[in-house]
Amino acid sequence: MAEVTVQGVSRYFGPTVALEDVSIRFADGGFYGLLGPSGSGKTTLLRLIAGFDFADTGHIAIAGEAMEDRPVEKREIGMVFQNYALFPNMSVFDNVAFGLSVRGVARGELRRRVGEALELVQLTGLDRRRPQQLSGGQRQRVALARALVTRPRVLLLDEPLSALDKALRSEMQIELKRIQRDVAITTIFVTHDQEEALTLSDRIGILKDGRLVQEGAPHEVYERPETVFTARFLGDANILSGRVRDGGIELADGTRVTSERSPGADGSAVTCAVRAEKILLQADEPGAAGDANALSARVQRHIFAGNSLTYLIDWGGETLKVFVQNRSGEVIPEGTSVCLSWAPRDTVLVAP
Amino acid sequence: MRLTAQAGRVKRGRDRLAAVAALTGPAYLWLALTVFLPLSAMFYFSFLSDVPFGKRVAELTLENYAAFFQESFYRTLMLRSFRLGAEVTFYCFLFGFPCAYVLAKTIKGRWREALFLLIILPFWSNALVRVFSWTMVLRGNGVLETFVNWLVPGVGSLNLMFTYPAIVLGLVHSYIPYMILTCYLSLEAIDDSLIEAARSLGARRHAVLWRLVLPLSFPGILAGAILIFVPVVGSFMEPRILGGRAGTFIGTIIEDQFTAVFNWPLGAALSFLMLGFVLLILLFVAPLARRAA
Amino acid sequence: MTRRPRGLVRIGRLYMAGVLLFLYVPIFVMAAMSFNASRLYRLPIDWSVTWYVALAGNEKLIDAALNSVWVALVTTVLATVLGTAAALAFFRYSFPGKRVMQLLLFPPIAIPWLIIGTAMLVFFFWIGVGRGLHAIVLGHVALALPYVVVVVSARLRSFDPNLEDAARSLGATPWQATRRVTLPSIAPGLVAAGLFAFAVSFDQFVISYFLSAPGVTTLPVEIYTAIRKGFTPEINAASTIVIAVSMTLLMVVARFYRFGGER
Repeated sequence: MAEVTVQGVSRYFGPTVALEDVSIRFADGGFYGLLGPSGSGKTTLLRLIAGFDFADTGHIAIAGEAMEDRPVEKREIGMVFQNYALFPNMSVFDNVAFGLSVRGVARGELRRRVGEALELVQLTGLDRRRPQQLSGGQRQRVALARALVTRPRVLLLDEPLSALDKALRSEMQIELKRIQRDVAITTIFVTHDQEEALTLSDRIGILKDGRLVQEGAPHEVYERPETVFTARFLGDANILSGRVRDGGIELADGTRVTSERSPGADGSAVTCAVRAEKILLQADEPGAAGDANALSARVQRHIFAGNSLTYLIDWGGETLKVFVQNRSGEVIPEGTSVCLSWAPRDTVLVAP
Repeated sequence: MRLTAQAGRVKRGRDRLAAVAALTGPAYLWLALTVFLPLSAMFYFSFLSDVPFGKRVAELTLENYAAFFQESFYRTLMLRSFRLGAEVTFYCFLFGFPCAYVLAKTIKGRWREALFLLIILPFWSNALVRVFSWTMVLRGNGVLETFVNWLVPGVGSLNLMFTYPAIVLGLVHSYIPYMILTCYLSLEAIDDSLIEAARSLGARRHAVLWRLVLPLSFPGILAGAILIFVPVVGSFMEPRILGGRAGTFIGTIIEDQFTAVFNWPLGAALSFLMLGFVLLILLFVAPLARRAA
Repeated sequence: MTRRPRGLVRIGRLYMAGVLLFLYVPIFVMAAMSFNASRLYRLPIDWSVTWYVALAGNEKLIDAALNSVWVALVTTVLATVLGTAAALAFFRYSFPGKRVMQLLLFPPIAIPWLIIGTAMLVFFFWIGVGRGLHAIVLGHVALALPYVVVVVSARLRSFDPNLEDAARSLGATPWQATRRVTLPSIAPGLVAAGLFAFAVSFDQFVISYFLSAPGVTTLPVEIYTAIRKGFTPEINAASTIVIAVSMTLLMVVARFYRFGGER
């Protein structure tokens, strides 16, 4: 079992709080993403798990073993750095073999295992090259092979795709997923890119200002954000605030909106989020179907992105966003009165 | 054994200090043994009446320092040495700064690197040999005399050896690369666009030089000046070789105490007096440097 | 770049040429004279290598030269090892007193060598170390240390600290990481520092002068004594060789340091 447990971990740098009371359990064999803006503490947490830094409070354990007094070289981890950190004075082969050679693995077995690792990342044949002669994508594969060849218990990735261009990024996303499945190793990666987190992870942990804000499967976290921050950080969300009235929510202009779950006590203030793609936009007069929520507003302008349109809607001074798939090829002109409707279960109650 | 976070931190701190000590220890122990302790010992010696080796009896005294203040001979020499230092520094600046300017501002590309190297090269090689090479040029029947006679026939004998100017010449030759180096670094850092801006505002060439370039390169000039002044004040090799009897300075007197007269305490006292005066001058100059920075 | 009046640029270039002439003419004159068979340096030059031949037979000078080389080699090894270790400590760790320690490296360069040389003489006598080659080595290493630290530190500044982290994440102890990743990476800097130390030691006069024992000297000291006693023409030859050696050495350092490092 190469489960990683982080319990009540805090890290302070003088007056700055890098991490505060973070607890996560990274299940064995899972692909775990730590997502957050810069300064959220995600890289700090990664370094604590790796052993480059030590927590001020709390415990970290790998496969049940406490890591408090273990320096990084004894933790049996594999790490891929953001700039890959390939040894420039060594060939690809020597880079990948490094971990094995410091462990004193015999020549024959060493050669075999390096060959296997290079095959895994599909770089066989490049072992004589130097890092300076490789492309960005190739370097990343070497870094991956180097980290995996020692059969670590945990694989740590620091912003693995940020240095790659768009095309390469999509390709590497698939590659990473495949390799991780093949090797079945507990993998934790850190990113500020929500798309990366959503596509790669089995589970996501969202960090903000050193605290763990929400945790769960990508789908879960996306559809059911728990705070305004999470709703906004993952995708586009419209934030509506109002008061509870008769089991529903009364917005500022009197519109009544319902959600699937009970919003709480009558009269209390409540905030909810409605994702831009969940809203149906109609240019006709309000005629909400069934028990769907409906809002009347006016089109302010649109942004055409080819396969989709984003409408910016003016609703009583506030701007709402609606994301529409380009099915009809038509554009609703500015100034048109429109009706926004969405299902009650897409009204997500969030903490402010 | 499971350490608490706090205990772990303490242990790691101690491990770190141990690593630092292991890495820096040897070098600093060496420096202590060869520089700091000797300087302290010499300071102590300067207060003794005699060297405390063998059968000699030494007692604490201020005689050595008093000698400096009592005999005008030493004072004259000290002043003479400081004057030499100032003169050499001045000439180094006068001739070195334009050189640095030309190198930094008008020459570009590979030429610049190559020329820079050419200027630095003699400077880093054997100082003694370079001073000696001047004797070939300056002496009677030497190259200089021959050259001048060829230019202007009938000038006759021209023996510059064993004169004060010869010493100045040799020292300037030795140390001018220092000034060129520091001024070059300073000047290189001045953005060309600053000069262009000044000229677009109507400043003539000399105004640009006086009011913009010189003040901005002052740190470099000052650094060069200090690097030249301090060693020159204490020089003895160049004065002896090029100056002969005209080459008596505080440096040569100090050297005498250690190699000829064997009055080590006096030599020590004179050394520290020289050091003291140099430090005083540096302290004077420090606020200037801070203002320029 | 703004166009400068052609005349000024030309004057500037001429001036530079003048300065270079000033710096090199004496050296060339001395080199030329070393091939002048005339004992009294009469011009025109009577080209011959007699003084170089005489040099080969001058035991004193040869001994001194060998001493110089031996001392320089030992100094190089010691100064490079000690200096690199210190530079690594400054690069890797932060600790109380680091600033002060870095400043303390500079007295050997800042304080006039006259004072340091005489202080060493006095102190070594006092503690029984005395004079001689061993004392000279002690002094030279102290002088070379600051230069080594500066050169190696400069090289370390362009070294990616992530590389050491990567090595450790792969299971290397800090020492293994240093030996297998850091040192090979900064190798050009180490070579440059070593050559520098050699040059500093080989050319050093003042410290060697005070710490030489009768009969046991280095080449610059021997040349100095010969000059003071009166000219022996072999000195020209010896001096020419010395300056040729140190200039060549330093050109190699320059290439190594600039091109071996940054490329």
